Amino acid sequence: MPSQPKVLIVDDEERFRTTMCKLLTVRGLEASTVGSGKEALEKLRDTPHDIVVLDIRMPEMGGVQALSEIKKIDPQIEVIIMTGYASVDTAKEIIKLGAFDYLLKPYAIEELIERIDAAYDRKTERSRLKAKSSQDS
Amino acid sequence: MSYRDFHPYLLSLLILFTAVPLAFAASGFFALGAVMIAAIAFSHTRNLLRATQIAEQRRRAADEQLCRTEKLSTVDEISAGIAHEINNPLGIIAQETQWIQHLLQSEPLKDAKTVGDLRDSLREISIQVDRCKEIVHKLLNLAREMEPVIQGADINDLIKNMVALIEREAATKNIRVTKLLEPDLPIVYSDPPLVRQVVLNLLINATHAVDKDGTITVTTKSNENDSVEIAVTDTGSGISKENLNKIFTPFFSTKPQGKGTGLGLAICRGIIERLGGRISVTSDVGESTTFTIHLPIHREPEGAK
Repeated sequence: MPSQPKVLIVDDEERFRTTMCKLLTVRGLEASTVGSGKEALEKLRDTPHDIVVLDIRMPEMGGVQALSEIKKIDPQIEVIIMTGYASVDTAKEIIKLGAFDYLLKPYAIEELIERIDAAYDRKTERSRLKAKSSQDS
Repeated sequence: MSYRDFHPYLLSLLILFTAVPLAFAASGFFALGAVMIAAIAFSHTRNLLRATQIAEQRRRAADEQLCRTEKLSTVDEISAGIAHEINNPLGIIAQETQWIQHLLQSEPLKDAKTVGDLRDSLREISIQVDRCKEIVHKLLNLAREMEPVIQGADINDLIKNMVALIEREAATKNIRVTKLLEPDLPIVYSDPPLVRQVVLNLLINATHAVDKDGTITVTTKSNENDSVEIAVTDTGSGISKENLNKIFTPFFSTKPQGKGTGLGLAICRGIIERLGGRISVTSDVGESTTFTIHLPIHREPEGAK
């Protein structure tokens, strides 16, 4: 069985993040939740994760700011942004800031899992290439 | 006819009815004088009231225009706000539905008689969630993706009109608005309502940045590379270097919570880029901030008069 990504869900809506966590867990993913950008940064400093699923609009630290802070902690982490609003401009901006992709709320859990799988594939491939180049040199 | 139209007549009659009998009691010369005074009073009062009415009509028209333009500039923000506020609870409904669907597959419930009906209800909930999602996104697209309608625009005139809209409110806060407009600026072929929306947004932001006792300067000039430059400078507190890089990022706002959605400048940049131009910002903390727009002049569309 291929290894499963470790996913952190960041959303200020308690009900949203806990149900998402249950839905991902029953599909075999290792998921945990936090309720703010600040908590996410603390958690990521303590425990490495592969994927962060991040809400764009949260009080105190918004998703865009949290995204750049997360990338500072570990540039290898893939971040998927969730938003209730998106336009071409917003999407371009989010990707430019280093997010893997974005999802428009509401969405089917299968859509999220598909993105998580794709993000994890990219992360694994990057790590493999990095390990290969360090071996070569 | 409003009650105001009766004022000159009432006033003149009052003068006539009080002054004339008094004057007749004195002499015919005074009587003539009194009639003349009444006539002059009538004419002047009527003119004064007409001027007041015209000024009031103009003020109302300016207020209406400001209201319309502000509505235009906030329609994007409102739509984005609605999208967020509705799509978030929809997200929760959708996930809860999926969770119930999962629970219905578990052993004790799987074969229950009513499960078929429950699944059917859940399917219906999902369909209706998608329907709401569609409505919200259509609303959002309606506001955001209007194709520019290209027309010739006199940028100096456009700026004068937009400045006129904020000048009155600025004056109440002791903010002076200075216009340094290059004479004979070439006509720009662009979408004037969209350019107006951006200019007004920058001017409103500038008044917020200054808060009180300061200056806003609007300058225009033409560049050699077939573009027109519009700059809005305010003497507000400035923007830190760190925030300067994020100022056009959607949802970024330095305004207190609830005061700004952080979409105004993101939308401005979207509009200017859609019009083939660019927008930039420079700032000295504690001194001033300047937003500069470069708009391509473009050629007059073929067939246009």
